[in-house]
Amino acid sequence: MIGRRWRAVLAVLALLPLAAAPLSRAQDQVRVRAQVDRTEMGEGEDLRLTIEIIGPSLDRVGPPDMSVLDDFVVSGGPSVSTRFQWINGVSTSSKTYTYSLTPTRTGKSTIPSLGVLVAGSTYRTQSIDIGVLPRGAVRSPFGSPPARPGRPAGPRSPASPPGTPRGGSAPPAALRVRTEVDPRTAYVGQQITLKVVLSTQTEVLNIGYQETPTFPGFWTEEIKLPDQLEVRRVPIDGEMWSEITLMKRALFPTSAGPLTVPPIGWQIQVRRRSSDPLESFFFTPTETVTRRTDPVTVTALPLPVAGRPAGFSGAVGEFSLQVTADRTSSRVNDAVGLKVRVAGEGSLGAVDAPAIAELADFKRFDPKVTSSTSLQNDRFRSEKAWDYVVIPLAPGAQMVPPVSFSYFDPKAGQYRTLTSRPLSIQVARGDDAGSPALPTVAQSDVRLLRRDIHYLKMASGGLRDRSRPLFRSPLFAVLLLLPLAADLSLWSWVRMRDTSPQAARSRRERRARAAARRRLRQARRCMKPATARTFYASVAQAMTDYVGDRFDSAGAGLTHQRIEELLAARGAPEDVRKALHRCVEACDFARFAPASSGEEEMRRTLRAAEETLVGLERTLPR
Amino acid sequence: MRRRRGPGAGSGAALLMAMWLAASPPLATAARAGAPEDLFEKGNTAFEAGQYEEAAASYEKILGYGLHDPRVLYNLGNAYFKLGRLGDSILQYERALRLSPGDRETRDNLDLARGQIRDRVTEPDLQYPIRVVKESIERLPPDPLAIAFFFLYTGTAGLLGGLIVSRSWVRRRLLGYGALLAGLLALTAGAALLYKMRQMSAEVAIVLQDKVDVRSGPGEENTILFTVHEGTRMELRNRLEPWMQVSLPNGLSGWVPASAVEKV
Repeated sequence: MIGRRWRAVLAVLALLPLAAAPLSRAQDQVRVRAQVDRTEMGEGEDLRLTIEIIGPSLDRVGPPDMSVLDDFVVSGGPSVSTRFQWINGVSTSSKTYTYSLTPTRTGKSTIPSLGVLVAGSTYRTQSIDIGVLPRGAVRSPFGSPPARPGRPAGPRSPASPPGTPRGGSAPPAALRVRTEVDPRTAYVGQQITLKVVLSTQTEVLNIGYQETPTFPGFWTEEIKLPDQLEVRRVPIDGEMWSEITLMKRALFPTSAGPLTVPPIGWQIQVRRRSSDPLESFFFTPTETVTRRTDPVTVTALPLPVAGRPAGFSGAVGEFSLQVTADRTSSRVNDAVGLKVRVAGEGSLGAVDAPAIAELADFKRFDPKVTSSTSLQNDRFRSEKAWDYVVIPLAPGAQMVPPVSFSYFDPKAGQYRTLTSRPLSIQVARGDDAGSPALPTVAQSDVRLLRRDIHYLKMASGGLRDRSRPLFRSPLFAVLLLLPLAADLSLWSWVRMRDTSPQAARSRRERRARAAARRRLRQARRCMKPATARTFYASVAQAMTDYVGDRFDSAGAGLTHQRIEELLAARGAPEDVRKALHRCVEACDFARFAPASSGEEEMRRTLRAAEETLVGLERTLPR
Repeated sequence: MRRRRGPGAGSGAALLMAMWLAASPPLATAARAGAPEDLFEKGNTAFEAGQYEEAAASYEKILGYGLHDPRVLYNLGNAYFKLGRLGDSILQYERALRLSPGDRETRDNLDLARGQIRDRVTEPDLQYPIRVVKESIERLPPDPLAIAFFFLYTGTAGLLGGLIVSRSWVRRRLLGYGALLAGLLALTAGAALLYKMRQMSAEVAIVLQDKVDVRSGPGEENTILFTVHEGTRMELRNRLEPWMQVSLPNGLSGWVPASAVEKV
């Protein structure tokens, strides 16, 4: 936009020398000329340098070599324009390069001779001397400006300051633009207010940016200025100046370190004093001057690591925290609105909801987030609110635990933590007290809110080393062997006892009666005339074997005589001995004369034998 | 005959009790005028004040006296847990569980600590009844089990002794059944005790370093098979100083530097 405008201006500008140049000389000669818009200027102002190349053909023209500049730096350009002309079959071309130059020092400065390469040959411009006055110095009006600029259209609506301090007598270029930054040192995220102020002693018609300013390293927020710019009158060095604030920005450093606010270029259209009364009468003679602000370096400090709270939100500024419920009493399943609001000076853009502890007896839904920003006395203010809907699940006095919000206070240089008061909500039972049916209760599992280890153990009853379990002790093994050994020795003792002769005898004695009984049972089975012989033999054997067993001698070899002797020796009574004798004799007799014995006889014999045995058992000592 | 057996069993039990009491050495440490108890109190106070380093130091000092009380190990495990030393805390909980296997708090905390470590090693699943039996045996305290086994064993032996000596048929029959029953019970208790002995003397180690490479052989030049992290429990299988062969429950095995792990 600006470039195009400038090109139009330069087209007009380029015509002037062309018209003046004698055509005959212009036919085959290349001419190079340098021109400035003034030869005296103030420090911090811009100078316009125009380099014009005129020749028959300008196909191969390089830009001028600006590297030889010592006293100036190129602050803008070049803008290039070209023209052709045909007169009587002769063509003439001109090419102009226009630069903005900023002086690097005050006093007498020089734009040296600049070389231009045209079709392989170098042509040189003349050198120009410029007087650079220090800031604030009174300057004389500078020489005739080379051109009248067109209508500069700035981004801002025209501001019309009401007249200049000293009417039309003030030099039209008595303009200064400066940047004010407050503070120069700030923490990351802390607001820095940038202000661009124009001081003027001349009437300003229009103001615009040269280019849209950018602020690398900052997050910016525009501070709106009033539509009608405010003009203040301030005395500077005994003179009255008008001051206009052109721009305000709230800058927030996004990273730590030195940061530069770059220079901002301004185009200012001012009323020019004209010597031509006709021109003054019919037109408003204006000129456009360019001013740049100085770069400003600010220092952004990182947020301190020490003392940073665990739940630090990242907000920098000064804030307040409010936690409110829309009512303090409710019923089960009746929603309650819970609002967490953080507001204050600073930015809250990236701040998350302050953590609300897990609510055991409430069901909580995701919050609705609302945020707004405003500017108050050039300070950026934010407000962010989280609206929760919580539904009480159980009756009683339910507590919403405190909510904490941490931020960094750059004024104090330390972190602050705000904690709300716990909210108490009285929850009544559901709405079904009057109905006869029991209310349905929405049961939920007991939820584990968070886990932790069990607590310490106490040493009641003293400490004891338990590292050696019982089974590791050798004594335990020995003790296990003891019963085994006892059983084994018991067994071997019993066995030894049973195998000795005496044990055998006593065992025979013990078994005598059982053997005799067995024989008698055998005999009873053959108590028939056909087997009478076997019967009597069995009974006789039962008797003799009994005696033999009792007296530890073989029953087969016992005679009646011997039996008598043994029994008498053991002190058996006379009648028992007689009965035995009779019984054995009867058996012997019947064995050899079986025909005489009937069944009745056998039964009598058996009974007699039994009685005799009982008698013997009773009378013989054990 | 009976008299001869009786005193044998009785004196054995008495001896056992005496041994149990003697094996636990409060008598030995009582000479230090209750210093371990004071240290324990000191540790607990420091723990409550959040000074976990101091608490751990106190508990460790008690262990330094040779007083391996499961409560000290448990509290030490808690202190390590709070300090974020998961491997150490798991090690102490494991040690506490060995000494008092039925303790629920220790088991819970061990489970919680195991839930925080990086490695998840799935153990082979056991059938329901086998798992229940295994777990209940694992939770039995070793000393009462040993005493129960001892009494059952001695009882069986006594009944067998009676059987050897007795002549009466009825008495022998009663003694026989009794001996059979007691014998079966003693066998069960003995099997449980054997399992317990194996479990308690199992060579198990816990990884204490953040990350340990398990290699295919004892030496840095061997291939890295897999990596384990702090708190993982491994079985020790072999030793070749300064390397140890370890295996995981899922069957993976390899060699690690002995300094990276600690035996339970």
